[in-house]
Amino acid sequence: MRRTTPDLRRELEARGVTRRDFIGFCAGVAALLGLPKSAGAAIASAIEHKLKPSIVWLEFQDCAGNTESFLRASKPTAADVLLDLLSVDYHETIMAAAGARAEAALEAVRATAAGQYLVVVEGSIPTGANGAYCTIGGRSALQIAEHLCKDALAVIAVGTCAAFGGLPAAAPNPTGALSVEEAVPGIKTLINLPACPVNAENLTAVLVYFLTYNRWPALDRYHRPLFAYGKSIHDACERRAHFDAGQYVEAWGDQGHRDGFCLYKVGCKGPATFQNCPNIGWNENTNWPIGCGHPCIGCAEPQFWDRMTPFYQHLDGVPGFNAATHIDRVGLYATGAVAAAFAGHGLVQITKRAAARHKAKVEAAKAEATAPAPAPEPEPAPAPAPAPEPVATTDKDGES
Amino acid sequence: MRIEGEDLRPLYVWDRVVRYTHWTIVLAMTVLAVTGVYIGSPFIAAPGEAREHFVMGWAKVIHFYAAIAFTLAVLSRILWMFIGPRRSSWRQFIPTSRRRWRDMKGTILFYSFFRERPPRTRGHNPLAGAMYIGVFGLYLLMILTGLALYSVSSYSYMRGWSFLLPWFHGVQGARWLHHITMWVLICFVVNHIYSAFLTSRIEKNGAIDSMFSGYKYLPPNTPEDDE
Repeated sequence: MRRTTPDLRRELEARGVTRRDFIGFCAGVAALLGLPKSAGAAIASAIEHKLKPSIVWLEFQDCAGNTESFLRASKPTAADVLLDLLSVDYHETIMAAAGARAEAALEAVRATAAGQYLVVVEGSIPTGANGAYCTIGGRSALQIAEHLCKDALAVIAVGTCAAFGGLPAAAPNPTGALSVEEAVPGIKTLINLPACPVNAENLTAVLVYFLTYNRWPALDRYHRPLFAYGKSIHDACERRAHFDAGQYVEAWGDQGHRDGFCLYKVGCKGPATFQNCPNIGWNENTNWPIGCGHPCIGCAEPQFWDRMTPFYQHLDGVPGFNAATHIDRVGLYATGAVAAAFAGHGLVQITKRAAARHKAKVEAAKAEATAPAPAPEPEPAPAPAPAPEPVATTDKDGES
Repeated sequence: MRIEGEDLRPLYVWDRVVRYTHWTIVLAMTVLAVTGVYIGSPFIAAPGEAREHFVMGWAKVIHFYAAIAFTLAVLSRILWMFIGPRRSSWRQFIPTSRRRWRDMKGTILFYSFFRERPPRTRGHNPLAGAMYIGVFGLYLLMILTGLALYSVSSYSYMRGWSFLLPWFHGVQGARWLHHITMWVLICFVVNHIYSAFLTSRIEKNGAIDSMFSGYKYLPPNTPEDDE
């Protein structure tokens, strides 16, 4: 840990962040966390005065998309400054050191700050071929993760790959990719921040919450902070009114699409996805996918690549049929086939019974012709042998 | 009453709980299927301003209330299997006697044209009864996937049902199962209606009417199903 530079204010101003911007940032984080307005002051005070933990940022099977998301280069913001003020002691993409010196920095953190440092993991951990699919400095991703995650104060898995396996773990998962939780069981505090990529606002908010209150925000069963993953996208969606009204985009570029109707019928997975995109947007709330007319693809959910596809269909297809064949069409085919089968059964029944009746009639006529009629036609006898329906000898239903 | 030479007498086989839950399930399933297909692929497009309409909203509301009726009817019927009279018992579904097994074979022979008539039974025929185990299983699957899906947009204690979601591989998996199970049940309904007509026609036992009146027409010497 190290203390923030005493003159934070001057440092911020040197980067073009005024005091007003900084306080605005603190209030914004408080709002994102669902805290009262007064929390802004506590946050500002914590950022200015508290000790900052060392952060180690590990990249495994990833595209560095989460790093990119976090280092948004649009303009220097208070969040960027906050990150600079944190002690980011190891981050392969942005650190100056390389090779043995980089590895030495990593080991130094582990040795000097055991139990006090934070680990941010980006990317899934391959376990196939003894971890040969991802090695750094001669060690496999799994070895590095085990080495560093178990002694950490907390591990934050950023992005869907680290949180749930993500794209590398999609079927057939050629590298045996696992999420951090699966690969390194027994982590003391694990926080998953899925999404592809992680929304930098959420990572910032988690770190700020920890700095301010010295504990972690409430998590759900997937270790996701509730403030960011407690609501489905659908429930906070700006197009929700069109969903409830029954107004949908039917095809790309149709009138409904131009009018900003609900994207449910073109495969929006907003109702199946939990994240706060509708509230905080992306890239400093410039926009977000649904806001610019594209359905949500459910990138923040477990197994999203396998479960949320096809992205432009409400539901997956049925095994044995083309994936684009709508499930209702398959259902109609099945119902039709069952109906046809029973109609056929009924026809056979009717034909068989008609034939049997006809045969009985012919035999009765024959019997009448050969034997002279014994007496006037009697009432049906108690046990009428030549009943209108010839009862087969095997048919013992009456008394069996 | 003599029908085609047989002495058929009215026999009270379906008690009120059996009949009322049956028709509640029928009505609820019809409403659930219609609103459910709409929710799955909304085929009505509301014109004009969004604030003037609530088509999907109503479809969902009706679906949820029908689901409550359906769930209560199914659970009551399952409870009745254990506390109700003989012909409502679980023994009507799970064959426990030699007669039930033999009659099940007989019914299969009837359906595959090797017999003129199915074996007579007072309650459910054993093949239908065995099938209803599967049908009740599908009902429970429907109820559980439905509760899992409901939990997603609920902010009450119903949110607790979200523990079911991982069982069904998340919301998309639950949706898919909920959807495909509806079609399996629709196929069952086709079979059920056909078989009701068929047995009414061949056994002349008033099988369809019996679900309204409670009385089936049977020869007085028809043995009890579980004897």
